[in-house]
Amino acid sequence: MSSSTSNPLPDVEPQASTSESSEYKPQQSTQYSFKPSPENSKTSTKADFTDDEEKKDDSMYVCNICLDIAKDAVVSMCGHLYCWPCLNTWLETRPTRQLCPVCKAAISKEKVIPLYGRNSDKQQDPRSKVPPRPQGQRTEPDPNTGFQGFQSFNGADGGFHLSFGIGAFPFGFFASSFNFNDMRPSARAPQHQQGTPQFEEDQFLSKVFLWVALFFFSWLILAEA
Amino acid sequence: MANMAVSRIKREFKEVLRSEEIAQCSIKLELVNDCFTELRGEIAGPPDTPYEFGTFLLEIHVPETYPFNPPKVKFLTKIWHPNISSVTGAICLDILKDNWAAAMTLRTVLLSLQALLASPEPDDPQDAVVASQYKENFEMFCRTAKHWTNSYAKGPHKFPDFDTKIQRLKDMGVSEFDARAALSRHNWDLNRATEQLFS
Repeated sequence: MSSSTSNPLPDVEPQASTSESSEYKPQQSTQYSFKPSPENSKTSTKADFTDDEEKKDDSMYVCNICLDIAKDAVVSMCGHLYCWPCLNTWLETRPTRQLCPVCKAAISKEKVIPLYGRNSDKQQDPRSKVPPRPQGQRTEPDPNTGFQGFQSFNGADGGFHLSFGIGAFPFGFFASSFNFNDMRPSARAPQHQQGTPQFEEDQFLSKVFLWVALFFFSWLILAEA
Repeated sequence: MANMAVSRIKREFKEVLRSEEIAQCSIKLELVNDCFTELRGEIAGPPDTPYEFGTFLLEIHVPETYPFNPPKVKFLTKIWHPNISSVTGAICLDILKDNWAAAMTLRTVLLSLQALLASPEPDDPQDAVVASQYKENFEMFCRTAKHWTNSYAKGPHKFPDFDTKIQRLKDMGVSEFDARAALSRHNWDLNRATEQLFS
């Protein structure tokens, strides 16, 4: 009996131990996506196991405000667990003093991490009165970690700086060295998506300037000839 | 939300009953009515203080917005302490006002009150007379606090000189509490206490 139940585990473990932790995560996510189909046959013994485990560790996952098992769980940056409705009510009770109820660290609605358990999508309750739980925040890895100055020339708005550079050299230099101002929308793009009106406006403007510059160039050359 | 207050108080009640402090008889919690909004707390006077060996009763009212707002707590037992009114029993403690946090429980409130008995804050007083006595005549404060503990909280320390002075005022038709309060306020100076009572 014991050998049959422990068999699946050694199959999984070598994979996890030989591969790096970063490779182990995708494996988990694929398991998650296939979850509905094997649930009825394969995971029945596992479910019993986790139920026992949960009963033991119940006290670990208790909301610090209602003292019940946390529902729509969120965790503060200081690591304290709450139900989202509980924490939301607490923060609304004292708008001027947004402190963690446990450790009194400064907290805010924006800096709260939602916890997505495996079955959390099943227990979606109507969030009619309470504002929705904040989204999980994904930070995109930096695309180029090297010299950032080149981005101005590779970017779509390179022509814009070129057109300024013709008339007065120092001004062009000035503009390109203050490029971080233009980098901001491109760095923000993954979070806010490219659909924001400001982003589109910026792109449109830079294209217009590019065409104006090209026209100006060709006119100069033609006039010279 | 009232539901949440009740379910939380039920959980807290179990927590207090299971806690170590109850085993050591240092705190107690009882229900007054069935709807879990009125409770009766009890704390033991901390050791090495004038309140040692005394037991102090507390009235706890749980608001509907609990735990987002603090419970309303006051002393039912008369006590001589800079941060507790000697007349009404009102308590001056930050966690019962602005510094309340939703993760605090009745158990932590009771323990905080016990800690308040052990370390008064005379610079943030509820009873200004007691606070000034604490700062200016600490020995007199300790004797007075022990006397009050003995009179109201079953404390063991008796002060016969205090008792005779109270008896003198009682003979003049003053109630025992008024006599004790007036004498305590004037460092047990019988003449000044009499002046205050009859002026």
